Amino acid sequence: MLKPIHMKMLVTLAWRNLWRKKRRTFITASSVMFATILAITLMSMVNGMKDQMVDSIVQNTTGHLQIQDVMYNDEPTMDHALGYEQEVKAALEKYSADIDYIVPRIHGFCLASKGMSTRGVKVMGVEAQKEDQMNSLSSRLIKGSMFEPRDDFAVIGKGVAEQLDLSLGDTIVLLGRGFQGMTAAGKFKIGGVLAFPLPEQNNTLVYLPLDIAQGFFAAPQRLTNLIIMTKQKDLVPELAEKLNAELDDEWYRVLTWEELMPDKVAAFEARDAQVSVFAWILYIVAGFGIFGTVITMMFERVREFGILLSIGLKRIRLSIICILETIFVSFIGVLAGIALGFPIMFWLYKHPIPMADDLGDVMIDMGIEPVMSFSISPDIFISQAINIFFIALIVGMYPVYKVFRLDMGSSSRK
Amino acid sequence: MKTVIKTTNLEKVYNSSVAPVKAVNQVNLEFKEGEFTAIVGPSGSGKTTFLNLIGGLDKPTRGNVIIDDTDISSMKESQLFDFRLKHIGFVFQAYNLIPVLTAVENVSFVMLLQNRPKEEMEKRAKEMLEQVGLSDKINVRPNKLSGGQQQRVAVARALASKPDFVLADEPTANLDTESAFNLLDIMSKLNKEENITLIFSTHDQRVIDRARRVITLVDGAVSKDEYFDK
Repeated sequence: MLKPIHMKMLVTLAWRNLWRKKRRTFITASSVMFATILAITLMSMVNGMKDQMVDSIVQNTTGHLQIQDVMYNDEPTMDHALGYEQEVKAALEKYSADIDYIVPRIHGFCLASKGMSTRGVKVMGVEAQKEDQMNSLSSRLIKGSMFEPRDDFAVIGKGVAEQLDLSLGDTIVLLGRGFQGMTAAGKFKIGGVLAFPLPEQNNTLVYLPLDIAQGFFAAPQRLTNLIIMTKQKDLVPELAEKLNAELDDEWYRVLTWEELMPDKVAAFEARDAQVSVFAWILYIVAGFGIFGTVITMMFERVREFGILLSIGLKRIRLSIICILETIFVSFIGVLAGIALGFPIMFWLYKHPIPMADDLGDVMIDMGIEPVMSFSISPDIFISQAINIFFIALIVGMYPVYKVFRLDMGSSSRK
Repeated sequence: MKTVIKTTNLEKVYNSSVAPVKAVNQVNLEFKEGEFTAIVGPSGSGKTTFLNLIGGLDKPTRGNVIIDDTDISSMKESQLFDFRLKHIGFVFQAYNLIPVLTAVENVSFVMLLQNRPKEEMEKRAKEMLEQVGLSDKINVRPNKLSGGQQQRVAVARALASKPDFVLADEPTANLDTESAFNLLDIMSKLNKEENITLIFSTHDQRVIDRARRVITLVDGAVSKDEYFDK
């Protein structure tokens, strides 16, 4: 067992050994530093873009959290619409400090027709102001206007308008299945047309005011999804847990955006794995830089190691010195990399790179700001330190192997 | 006088690609407490190998090395580390100080490994440096010391831990005449005053002239073992 005084001696020896060959230490630390900066840049850019996409997906589809009827996610029919009752309102009130705003929705699939033309549509009952807050829905209007409270007209996707030959002021007939087997049937004037980036949205969406849609589906005071937007994204898992604990699990279920979109999460994980491969290529390059130094150091110091062993330093302690030297030089490089990389990433975080031309247009259409965003999440910087530490430990095994094979008698005379 | 080291039928055979070489051949010797012995012989006669064997740095092919009634030839490496630390001091031809430690840290190093209390360690290290005439160089690193000064630090390091005996492998080979005499004066004085057993391997006539016992090795075997009154 090492006493503190012995550990101090080993640390002192390792640290001072590092500065015997300043230029070599500088070159090795520099190689680690550049690898760290590149890895930080890569991870910062990828995470920044990922955050941007997640925000976009969350805002345009699920929200951060949803309260649903306990059966709805497995069987999304109107029969499993949620009763927006006092229990739910009380729970939301209790955790209002974490909640930015809530967005109620009711939606179901119907047949839409005009004259002899019929097609399937998704009828969305929404509060227009809340949708604007969440995803700027009214900014997608290309004709007419968005409904206000007490309006009773429909706003439809561009594709629906084209396929059913609907214009402003025309009437659309909707027929579907309402709550608990009721027939959902109604006629609505067209008050606006929206253009979405995805054909699926354009060709299927029909928006109605929330109260009108609830009446249409014969489900007053009921919602299919109660969307919750949290004040910060990292509050999502904790708030979901708290709300799940607060609400009766026989009736309600609180789901995070990740639970609602497992396919997207899987896609992100697959992309993260690909990025990790590139990051590890950088780490391996840095690892070889350190390894080269370690090999040179071993050749130069065979005699010195022989002496240390001869005068009584045990092999394990000599190995610790070698590993500490590797770790020290690696960490100097990592710290320098973070010190240089962080201001650059911070600047890019504050000043995202604008995306021009076609790519920028595509991003706008997707509802994503046309910029390349960077992340300054502490995880990115901490993970560099951990990964380089791991590499240093692997490289540090070489001198340990050599020290344990060193012949004391001959090496101390070299 | 107490016997400090005893070798019986000591042999070391190196297996070269051409033929086995007996570096040490049937050596039977005893070293008494306080002796100042020079082991001499031509290059390749087995002087350093013999020192390595009695210092526990190398294992004999046959025979035994008994130090303080303990047979070290059958010890495991971990036991040998502790044994060397406690009983043996080493002085090497090329000084072999730890370059990143100051003189006083170099001298303290072995005592630190012996788990001596810090205060005792520092006091003893400074005393030893004073005895070798380097009290003004305690905080100087080896690269700022001359060859003679470095070797004196090495002697202070070897003796600071109060070993049973000191093995010195050609300690004057790299020193000028003045430094060599200076070092030998110091070692002779410590040998007499602290009754430390010194065993030198050397070609150097200046060392041989100081030794009270001279053992001559030829082809790994003892050819002469002479005592002198000095």
